Amino acid sequence: MMVRIGVFICHCGHNIASAVDVEEVVEYAKTLPWVAHAGHNLYSCSEEGLGSIKRSITENKLDRVVVAACTPRTHEPLFRRACEQAGINKYLFEFVNIREHCSWIHAKEPKEATEKAKKLVAMGVAKAALLKPQTESEAGVIPTAVVIGGGISGLVAAASLVEQGIETHLVEQTDRLGGLLCDITTIGPEGRHARTLVKDVVQKLEASPKTHIHRKARVSDVKGFIGSFEVTIEGCDGPTKVPAGAIIVATGTREFAPTGEYGFGEHPQVITQLELERKLAMGEKPKRVVFITCVGSRQPGREYCSRVCCNVTLKNALALSKASPDSRIRVIHRDIMSSGSAAEKLYKETSDSGVRFLRYGLERPPEVVSDGDRVNVIVYDETLDEVVSLDADLVVLAVPMLPPDDSEVTGKLLKVPRDKFGFFLEAHVKLRPVEFATDGVFICGSARWPVNARECIWQGMAAAAKASIPIKEGKVVIQAITAEVDPEKCAACGNCVLACPYEAIEIVDQDGNRAAKVNEAQCKGCGTCVAACHNDAVSQKGFTSGQLGAMIDALVKASLEGSR
Amino acid sequence: MTEFKPTILAFCCNWCSYAGADLAGVNRLQMPPNVHVIRVMCSASVKPEYVFKAISQGVDGVLVLGCHIGDCHYLTGNHRTAKRIPVTKKILHDVGIDDRRVRLDWVSAAEGEKFQQVIIEFVAEIKTLGPNPQREVNM
Amino acid sequence: MNDLGRRLARIAFDERGADILLMMAENQGNVGPVIISKGQDPGDARIDVPYQLVAILTNLLPFIGKAKVAILCRRCDEKALIELAKRGIVDDASMVRIGLACSKEQIQACRCSDCVPSKVDIGEAAEPCPEDALAIELGSMTIEQRAAFWMRQFRKCNKCFGCTLNCPVCFCDDCVLEERTYTPKEGIPPELAFHLIRSFHLADKCVECGECERSCPVDIPLLTLRKMVNRDMKNMFDYGSGDAEKKSPLLTTLDDQPLEDDGHAC
Repeated sequence: MMVRIGVFICHCGHNIASAVDVEEVVEYAKTLPWVAHAGHNLYSCSEEGLGSIKRSITENKLDRVVVAACTPRTHEPLFRRACEQAGINKYLFEFVNIREHCSWIHAKEPKEATEKAKKLVAMGVAKAALLKPQTESEAGVIPTAVVIGGGISGLVAAASLVEQGIETHLVEQTDRLGGLLCDITTIGPEGRHARTLVKDVVQKLEASPKTHIHRKARVSDVKGFIGSFEVTIEGCDGPTKVPAGAIIVATGTREFAPTGEYGFGEHPQVITQLELERKLAMGEKPKRVVFITCVGSRQPGREYCSRVCCNVTLKNALALSKASPDSRIRVIHRDIMSSGSAAEKLYKETSDSGVRFLRYGLERPPEVVSDGDRVNVIVYDETLDEVVSLDADLVVLAVPMLPPDDSEVTGKLLKVPRDKFGFFLEAHVKLRPVEFATDGVFICGSARWPVNARECIWQGMAAAAKASIPIKEGKVVIQAITAEVDPEKCAACGNCVLACPYEAIEIVDQDGNRAAKVNEAQCKGCGTCVAACHNDAVSQKGFTSGQLGAMIDALVKASLEGSR
Repeated sequence: MTEFKPTILAFCCNWCSYAGADLAGVNRLQMPPNVHVIRVMCSASVKPEYVFKAISQGVDGVLVLGCHIGDCHYLTGNHRTAKRIPVTKKILHDVGIDDRRVRLDWVSAAEGEKFQQVIIEFVAEIKTLGPNPQREVNM
Repeated sequence: MNDLGRRLARIAFDERGADILLMMAENQGNVGPVIISKGQDPGDARIDVPYQLVAILTNLLPFIGKAKVAILCRRCDEKALIELAKRGIVDDASMVRIGLACSKEQIQACRCSDCVPSKVDIGEAAEPCPEDALAIELGSMTIEQRAAFWMRQFRKCNKCFGCTLNCPVCFCDDCVLEERTYTPKEGIPPELAFHLIRSFHLADKCVECGECERSCPVDIPLLTLRKMVNRDMKNMFDYGSGDAEKKSPLLTTLDDQPLEDDGHAC
């Protein structure tokens, strides 16, 4: 069979091209064996980029495609689909990662990055030449979902699932549903009543016979894959094993405790925003209040903006300002982040209502001093260029949201990643915003990143919509990466049978020839058996010893050329 | 004498260490450009044959990176890795090849910084060991 | 047939009900393996020439069918049969073992530390040889010296495959080392990987019969290398080949068989 490989190097705008000399890599790729065409795209994943790859497949009669761009973990399906559309079996596509594994991590070494990119492309081409077309098989999906977390995101996600007729288990670690919304009065900027919102969703949820709510419960174990998970829910009456097709993570957030900052924990007058919400709910109307924003956020160690706190500050400042005509409400801020027309309107209304705004900088933060009953906030106002002393009944600190304490445990259970702050990481910011890279596991709400109630609701609905796809579809496609046995080579020694973590292999007698046989539906494509076989009788589709061996050969060859 | 630029091969499992390497990239964690990753589905599919082949053909160092024990996407796949690679190293040691040229480690999908650390350490270690003597034979 | 032959035949056919007997015999000056049925005279039986009868047996298996085979077994042969039985290559139950205790000279030649079969039918049990002097010497060398030693040895290899063909526990029909996947270089000597891969393949099944070393036309001390790796397996997993109860640690989980030292990352 003739092999005609097309190689496409992606600039990814500046992401790759700023460190890797893309044109040089293209020229190098042209010199590699089997390469019939090499080109480059500004953004290979764009409509235009994909179009040009497809055109090139036809024009250059390509039968294999190598794209050197970002990570196969997010973009492989996109390019495989493009190959398929252009008439090439999608398993004749090979991905080379020159962004995450090259340009981004060697940003200051363009020459070295370019040389490395060449070697990686050579390895990819060597593997591509040996790829074989494959056909995919299918597996069933258990028509049940598990939602972890009974805050507003999880509630909405669960409600949305049962609305579609999907059996749904909601796991909440406390005995109340609604999460942080139970602790607050109204939701800004429109001022909707928080508990009414929770009540509406819970009622809807409880009305459905498809709903199973587990209060005071937690997920203690997760086994399996998309379509056939087994989730162990540890509740009051011991563990329950729930078979499920999809899992939604909605474990929410918690408030940062700013112990030691601005006298928090020392003076009872210094409280957090959430504590103020509880006071407001009790009907308290403090008159002289100083709000300080960005306490514990947007600074070294916790660089992120928690996004929600400015609007909450504005909402509460306005409410207090309106509550009593003689109130003196002051907001000490670094910036006011209140984007969107409703929030901007709220900001304007708050300023107009007499709330005073003072701006501080990180280099001269305000100070809280106490004289017993009263506290004074001493702040250098950047706009006035003078030090101002504000007396207050209450100092309210707008602190950031943190990931929940057990997010590490949850992450490990579900095998999903977290960022350096401990928030969960979605599969792709833009392409797969409510999915994890692990198939069948979805994410919504502030467990991912601090979001407001409205965004929680959107995300809950989005995650439910995504999770319902495999369940409604009733089947998932099994990637053609399963193991296969060459009975001619097999000595039936049973090494693979012992090594398989899924008991997916058995020795069978076929016309007098004893050989191993892989049960494809049970095989998950780990390749453990492959390494157990001494005779290369077992191989994994798309990861054969010939293909990986060729990659090693290519690296050795390219390094030899590079060193001369 | 020209500076020694090691050629290093890394096998990364799709679910943890490859994702960890991706995360290192996303976070722009800088590291030496000597390591070339081959993606496999599980570290347990890394045949010692590949390691021997690479070392024998002059590759200066081989990394095998998988999920932490207990975190394997394939339940107990990496348990086999945890036993095969030490044997691989012993065999190298027995024939006089410094087994520090092969390193097995666990990097989770969330451990971009650990990935960076492993790469920095391993490249430094290989630099102190110098070129793989098999280079002279094969390169 | 000599007295020894008659004795073997009696044990195999009369006492233990075998259908055929695999043994060594001298016929017209040649010593080689023979298979006899009851009453057949193959010439004089010999036990003083070491020969890998188990390797012969596995090659003959497709032709033997359901016949009950008696085989002259040294301790290492016995262990090889156990390793093969563990992998379903031979059926242990249909096998009649005639235990052969190796001579002092044999034991010395093999530096054999496990030389007495579970039942001695022929010969007299002799003292084992505790150490492989070369292995000890290599262990005390610097890594560079050890590399120099082995590279010198491996350079002699002419890839005759004698070591694999005569190995009792090499049961694959075609050896991957005959292909170019892992050893792409043409000609001889093969790359280092050749010997490393073979070492790994044998790590959980080599019974130290020494046939690889005896078969090697260029005298590479392969038995010493086997012994070094086997010692590693013992140290790491408390594993020794030839134990019917022990699965290969390289195939099982850490829960089944943990690594002796920390080993979680190395």
